[in-house]
Amino acid sequence: MKRQGKLKDEWIVGGHRFSSRLLMGTGKFQDAETMVEAVLASGTQIVTVALRRVGRIPQEDDMLGPLRRLEGITLMPNTSGARNASEAIRAARLGRELSGSPFVKVEIHPNPHHLMPDPIETFEAARILAAEGFVVMPYMPADPVLAKRLEDVGCASLMPLGSAIGSGRGLATTEMLRLILRDARIPVIVDAGLRSPSEAAAALEMGCAAVLVNSAVAASGDPIAMAAAFAQAVEAGRNANLAGLMPRGGGTALATSPLTAFLSVEGQ
Amino acid sequence: MTQQLPEWLDPSPWLDGGGSSPADVERALGCDEPGPRELAALLSPAAHAYTEIMAQRARTLTQRHFGRTISMYAPLYLANYCTSGCAYCGFASDRVQPRRRLEPTEVEKELDSLKGMGFEDVLLLTGERTSHAGFEYLLECVSLAARRFHAVGVEAFPMTTREYAFLANAGCSGVTLYQETYDPFQYDRLHRWGPKKEYLDRLEAPARAMESGMRTVGLGVLLGLSDPVFDAVCLLRHAGHLRRIHWKSGITISFPRLQPQAGNFTAPVPIDEAQLARLVFAVRIVLPDVPLLLSTRERPEFRDGMAGLGITKMSAGSRTTVGGYAGTEPGTDGQFQVSDQRSVPDICEMLRGRGLQPVFKNWDSVFRDGEAGGRG
Ligand code: SF4
Repeated sequence: MKRQGKLKDEWIVGGHRFSSRLLMGTGKFQDAETMVEAVLASGTQIVTVALRRVGRIPQEDDMLGPLRRLEGITLMPNTSGARNASEAIRAARLGRELSGSPFVKVEIHPNPHHLMPDPIETFEAARILAAEGFVVMPYMPADPVLAKRLEDVGCASLMPLGSAIGSGRGLATTEMLRLILRDARIPVIVDAGLRSPSEAAAALEMGCAAVLVNSAVAASGDPIAMAAAFAQAVEAGRNANLAGLMPRGGGTALATSPLTAFLSVEGQ
Repeated sequence: MTQQLPEWLDPSPWLDGGGSSPADVERALGCDEPGPRELAALLSPAAHAYTEIMAQRARTLTQRHFGRTISMYAPLYLANYCTSGCAYCGFASDRVQPRRRLEPTEVEKELDSLKGMGFEDVLLLTGERTSHAGFEYLLECVSLAARRFHAVGVEAFPMTTREYAFLANAGCSGVTLYQETYDPFQYDRLHRWGPKKEYLDRLEAPARAMESGMRTVGLGVLLGLSDPVFDAVCLLRHAGHLRRIHWKSGITISFPRLQPQAGNFTAPVPIDEAQLARLVFAVRIVLPDVPLLLSTRERPEFRDGMAGLGITKMSAGSRTTVGGYAGTEPGTDGQFQVSDQRSVPDICEMLRGRGLQPVFKNWDSVFRDGEAGGRG
């Protein structure tokens, strides 16, 4: 069966439509110029920026200025640095004021070393911010129960981690991601831990709506080329998901001598 | 008086074996979860031949966790009064030199000039607690700094948990407190008199700071005072101990190296640049996610080379004299000699030339309210 042409493949988060399934982080580039070039090469439409890196008086290391000048980019301020819900909520409100964007990536990691998200504080912040009308996209542990709880309080997407931030260990949480994906009614975006485009492709093949990368691009040999590679991989992964992977383990292939031939004897 | 090291600090299980072999070094380099054993191997003479491999590993880990960025901060010396007699320090009470503290209006001037240089992260320094510059004074200075800067750190005398909580409430987000050396015998010998002689009081102060809700605590040893392997393994164990108990606070590690200063003290165990570099690489390998700092004590070429090879935070344009930035007053002598005298723009240019972004703001004061003790 041939697919006749392709419908516009868009995904919707918080009522906003996007066609790119690659989200970009901005905090780890060598300079603003490289960051901007990588953002452009990635074709991304959603870029996250840490409030803690945003200067209210623009300085040369300010992230927001150069991003604002790009067209077609939705800014998603993040609350990275917050240790609890109240800090994240304050950061989210300030982020909205500074960026003019209703999107917020709720990021609460009380342990500043491994930066693992705090499920309890994240839930609390997400609940309050969603009620305030934010488009809430929580960075979260890959926990299927938490995922449903976050969905229930009005989050616009789920952003489970693939593995620890900056670990480059890829989709270490695959089994949990499958459970999250099976039940989710809102887009699932793998955030953190990805190292290579093939891992991004795998996330999309599984059915994730998108992936978010930062270190994998910023710390690569050529961030701009790597951003483009991720864009291609994400597209390939998405197309593979739409096409439908062949079943695993040969489950539906017919053996030449049927294993159940003996069953028919009785009925003859 | 010297004491037994607490079990959680004692480095002896990893030091007993004597030297490490090349095989030990290779094992350490290939280890998934390197710890004290691996650190000791990476600091052994056998590891010298692996310096380049260590540097590569350190850079990879640094990029993975911190990207291509270097955080910038500035130290501000508030006062040089001191009652202690640390043999290695230019501010020791028996050193003849002009003593002074910045009055609040002068502190404001100094802060304003640092702000004018682009800084958003300031480290306030004093000597031992004295009647001239005690806790109340420090608290006032923190408040003045917090009104202007997003990140305010303090490097001063050990305090009580309650005092640290007051500082945190006033806007202090980091406390730096070097043990100088973890070797209790050497510690006792070098700290000739004064409150700083209390090894355990100092050792336990970082935990008190964390308990109070302080976001980050800076640890370090003064390199040159004692056996660096002993000190490094203790430092790693101290960091691990703190992380297990106070899991919501961050740790940073600095690598101050003894420089010539008043008193003509010579380092009993001098550390050369190659050893210092290897120490930074080794610490990065065992603590991949901890910010590592390098001050202007080191010469420009060394700082340039180390940026991004483990080091993720640097001071720039530093003055170690009281009242050094706004140039308000006849200076005092500095606590140590600044080797890297370059201006802030020069250092930024150097970093950019090496593919690194100098980051002045990496923190936002909006996160402050929840800081003090008792918060979840
Ligand atoms: S190191 Fe600190 S306590 Fe010791 S003499 Fe110097 S200023 Fe005083």
